[in-house]
Amino acid sequence: MMNFRKNLDANIALAIAAIFLFLPLIAATEFSLRDGGTEKHSLISYRWILDQSGFSENLGITMRVMALAVILTLVLMVPTVTWLHLGGEKYKRLIDVLTMLPLIIPVVALATGAQLALPGFVHGTVYELSFLYVVVSMPYTYRALDIGMSARPLATLVAAARNLGASWINVMLRVIVPSILPSIFAALFMTITLSLGEFTLAQLLHWNTFPTWITNISQQNILGATALAVGSLFFAWVLLYIFTFLDRQPTQSAVNEE
Amino acid sequence: MGNSLKIEGLSRNFGSVIALDDFSLTIKKGELVSLLGPSGCGKTTALRIVAGLERASSGEITLNDKKITDVPAHKRNMGMVFQSYSLFPHLTIEENVAFGLQMRREPKEKRIGKAGELLELVGLTTQHKRFPHQLSGGQQQRVALARALAIQPEVLLLDEPLSALDAQVRQNLREEIRRLQVELNTTTLFVTHDQEEAMAISDRVGVMSHGKLEQIDTPDELYNRPATLFVASFIGAMNRIPTQLKDGEVEVLGEKHSVKNHNEKDGNVTALIRPESIELLHDSTYHNAVVVTRSFLGASSRITVRIGDGSILQSLMPSSDSMELHPGDLVQAVITDKKVLITNA
Ligand SMILES: Nc1ncnc2c1ncn2[C@@H]1O[C@H](COP(=O)(O)OP(=O)(O)OP(=O)(O)O)[C@@H](O)[C@H]1O
Ligand SMILES: [Mg+2]
Repeated sequence: MMNFRKNLDANIALAIAAIFLFLPLIAATEFSLRDGGTEKHSLISYRWILDQSGFSENLGITMRVMALAVILTLVLMVPTVTWLHLGGEKYKRLIDVLTMLPLIIPVVALATGAQLALPGFVHGTVYELSFLYVVVSMPYTYRALDIGMSARPLATLVAAARNLGASWINVMLRVIVPSILPSIFAALFMTITLSLGEFTLAQLLHWNTFPTWITNISQQNILGATALAVGSLFFAWVLLYIFTFLDRQPTQSAVNEE
Repeated sequence: MGNSLKIEGLSRNFGSVIALDDFSLTIKKGELVSLLGPSGCGKTTALRIVAGLERASSGEITLNDKKITDVPAHKRNMGMVFQSYSLFPHLTIEENVAFGLQMRREPKEKRIGKAGELLELVGLTTQHKRFPHQLSGGQQQRVALARALAIQPEVLLLDEPLSALDAQVRQNLREEIRRLQVELNTTTLFVTHDQEEAMAISDRVGVMSHGKLEQIDTPDELYNRPATLFVASFIGAMNRIPTQLKDGEVEVLGEKHSVKNHNEKDGNVTALIRPESIELLHDSTYHNAVVVTRSFLGASSRITVRIGDGSILQSLMPSSDSMELHPGDLVQAVITDKKVLITNA
C-alpha cells in the first residue's frame, strides 16, 4: 500500500514535469508547421529558412568555428584536467575557481580582453570566435570532464597501463580517453551547442555566423523563427543520441547474464 | 640460481616525510618475498619505485645484473597487481588480460590465446567477454593477476591485492597466488600488512618500520628469533615480563632461564614470552597466577592470568588441557621454553 502510494506520487510528479517540458515544445512544433495563417500543416516555414540567402554560407562558417572550438577543447581541456587528477591536485582549487570566471566576467569585457591575448594568426579571422567559445564553454566542459575523471580511479589505471608497457601516448589514447569517453562527449556537447547558438560575442566582434544570421532573418518571419528554434533543438537531440550510441561501455541494464 | 632483483640503499622522502630510508633487499629467482609492516611504513613506496612508477631520492635497483634504476616503468617488464581495483573499465576481461601483449605488438591470435590460457589458470574462462564491473571483487583481482602474469614478467609485484576482499575469498586467493607463483617460477615481491598472510605464503618475510627494513628472514626464523623488539611484538602475540639479567640468566615467574640472545648487558631487561610457551598447571601446589578469562578458539584456548606484580599474561593452550580452568582459579604458570628472548628496552 505504501509502495503504491509512493509510486503514484512519483508518477504524478513525473507527469507534471513532462507536461511542463514537452507542452511548450509540442506547441512550438505545431506552430512551426502551420501553413501561413491557415489551419493546414506543412513544412513551408522550414523550406523558407533554406530559401533565405546566406543559409549555407553562415551555417558553414559556424560549423568551421565549431570544429576548431571542439578540437581546441579536446586538445587543451582533456590533458589539463587529466594532469589535475594525476599529480596537479594542489592546483585544483585554483582551477576550479578560474574555470568559473567566464560566467562572472561580462561578455563585453571578455570579448575585448580575450582578443588581446589571442595568438596573432587568428586575429582578424572568424576563428577568433573559436577561442572565445572554448573559454565561454569552459565552466561546463571543465566540470563535465572533472566529474568523469573523479568517477574513475585514474591514477591507478595509469599506473597499471604504464606497468603493462604502455607509452604515455598509449596511456592517453587507450586508457584515459576511452575510460572517460562519456564525459568527453558531454564536454564536447557543451562546446557544440554553445557554438551553434552563441550570438552576443559574434555580434560584438562583427562576425556573421549562423546565430546572427538567424536573428536577422527571423525578424521578418515569426513562423520561420519558430521553425529554426525547433530545428536546432532536434539537431541537439540527435547529437546527444549519437554520443550515447558511440559510447560502447555497457550500462548495467545491458548486462546479459549467462 | 642467480639473484633476480637487487635493491640497494633506496631512500625516498616526500617533503619532510621519510617514506623509505636506506632500504636494501635481494630476491632470488623464483622466490616469493613479502614486505610486512604497519600502515605508512613505506611498503607501497618501495614497490612503486621497483616498478618505476615512483622515483627514488637515492639508491640503485638491479634486475638480472642489469641496472634498471633509470629505465622507465613501461620498459621494465614487471607485472603489478594493485590494492584497489585497477582493471580498465572500457575493456572486456579478455582485452584487459591481453593489454600488455597488445602494447608489445603481439599478433592478435597470440594475444587471445595467451589471455585464454591465463584466464584458465585463474579459473575465469567463462567470463572473458564480460566487463570488469560485472565481476565480483575477488574475480576482478584474479583478472588483475592474470593481466600481470600475461606479460611473463621478470618480477611480479603485489601491493596488498587481497585487502579489499572478505576473509574467505582472501584465504583462497592467497593460496592460489602462491600456487601460480611456484608453478610459473615467478620472482615475486608481495606487500601486505596482514602477518598471517605473509607468513603463510612467503619464502621470506621482510618486516618494515618507518621506511627501514627491520629484519628479513623465513617465517619460522622471524617468529622464533625476532631480531628487534619491534619485530618481536609485531609478529605474533608476545608477553613482556620485566626482570633482571645476571650472568646470562633471567628469573621469570620464579624460575631461572638462560637467554637466547646474549648480546644484552646485565641489568634491567624485559623477557619476551610467546603465549604458547606459557603453560598453566591447575593441580600444582605452588600458585603464582590467577585465571582472569578463558576464550575458546577451537583446538586451542586463550587464557589470561594475573601474576604477582598485577600484570596480565596471555597463555595459549590446547583446549583439551585447559577445560578445567575457570576465572578465579589459582594456577602455576610455567614457561616451557628452555631459553628466553630478552630485550633491554
Ligand atoms: N605521493 C605522496 N606524497 C606525499 N607523501 C606520500 C606520498 N606517498 C606516500 N607518502 C607518505 O610516505 C609514507 C609511506 O607511504 P606508503 O604508501 O609507502 O605506506 P604503506 O606502507 O604502503 O602504507 P599502507 O599499509 O597504508 O598502504 C607515508 O607516511 C605516506 O604518507
Ligand atoms: Mg600501501
